[in-house]
Amino acid sequence: MHQQIESLFDEAESRYLKPEELGVLSQYVDSLPQRLETYRQLRDQELDLMQQVANQLQAAMPQEKTETLERSIKHALLMLRYCAMSMLLNDNSFVQNRLLSWLTRTVQTYNTQTVDMTLYRLLNQRLSQVLSPQQLSLLKPPLALAQSTLLNQVKA
Amino acid sequence: MISVADLLIDNRIPGNYFATDAYVQGDLELGLLENRRGDRLLALPETLIQGIYAGLDKETGQATRLVLMNCGRWWGKNFYARFCEELNDYYGTALADMAMVEFLQSLQQCWLTHGWGKIDLDQSHQNRGFLVVEIVNSPFAQHAPKLNRPVCFLEAGILSSFFSQLTNKDLYCVQTTCESMGADRNRFLLGLAKRLEPVEVMVENQLDHETIMQKLCA
Repeated sequence: MHQQIESLFDEAESRYLKPEELGVLSQYVDSLPQRLETYRQLRDQELDLMQQVANQLQAAMPQEKTETLERSIKHALLMLRYCAMSMLLNDNSFVQNRLLSWLTRTVQTYNTQTVDMTLYRLLNQRLSQVLSPQQLSLLKPPLALAQSTLLNQVKA
Repeated sequence: MISVADLLIDNRIPGNYFATDAYVQGDLELGLLENRRGDRLLALPETLIQGIYAGLDKETGQATRLVLMNCGRWWGKNFYARFCEELNDYYGTALADMAMVEFLQSLQQCWLTHGWGKIDLDQSHQNRGFLVVEIVNSPFAQHAPKLNRPVCFLEAGILSSFFSQLTNKDLYCVQTTCESMGADRNRFLLGLAKRLEPVEVMVENQLDHETIMQKLCA
């Protein structure tokens, strides 16, 4: 939607915005308090949330090297941070441009998909416990995009 | 027991340094386009590249390829130094400690963000001492005169300098396929000068890339 808003700016030289176009901007502004609250939750809970997930991951995959698990966890931290920002801006292209086109290759090279699949499952479970349903639904679009791309289910 | 807090150094997880919206900045009120480090960036219009080719051809004729190659070499040397500095500053690791895949990722993103096309490495002949670099959408191929032979001497120069420094060997670079000749991509062969000697002749005789590699690695 961020891009939608940006493209509205281009109209300024031809005309003033129509009511429905202003509506796009207005909708976003109305959703901001929820987005900010979700963002704050994610920020404040980051360490706790991820530590729990890390503990569960180690327990679920005891045969994996620590280095491998740590790499996936680091990537997931980065992914979550970018998804949080994407959610705040209501802009999926943010997570696409800043993260996915770059991280997908790394994930493929290190072949971490198996670990990542388990990690994402644990992470999503944890997120549904930490965030309210509305907050989770705000985070869902960029998070789903990121996870499905990194698991190679969608072309980056 | 993995400690997540320990994974965050300075609360930071470095991402994609060369992401376009982060990398390209500038004080446009002063007409300055810059990268995130404050080095100056410039947008090159296609007509300028055409002009450079035309001017070089007019003034130096046959020597154009040499001039472009040398420009490329000089550029490549400095590009390598700056590239390493930027990576070092951003990722906080010395280049020697950086994994090859991360280094290559960064190089690819850098190339993309600067609008030089898409670069990729073919390491399949690396054990024989040859590296193949592939570039698609090269602006230098697109606007070069169509001479029915490879024309990306600027890039050949950059690549030979860059990879020479990276590998600490004196690498030479010969282009085997060129977009200006209708090829699907530009392929650049990197290796020690002596071993690449036969390649220039093979390219002039219009041998395709696969055949060249077969003959070289036979």
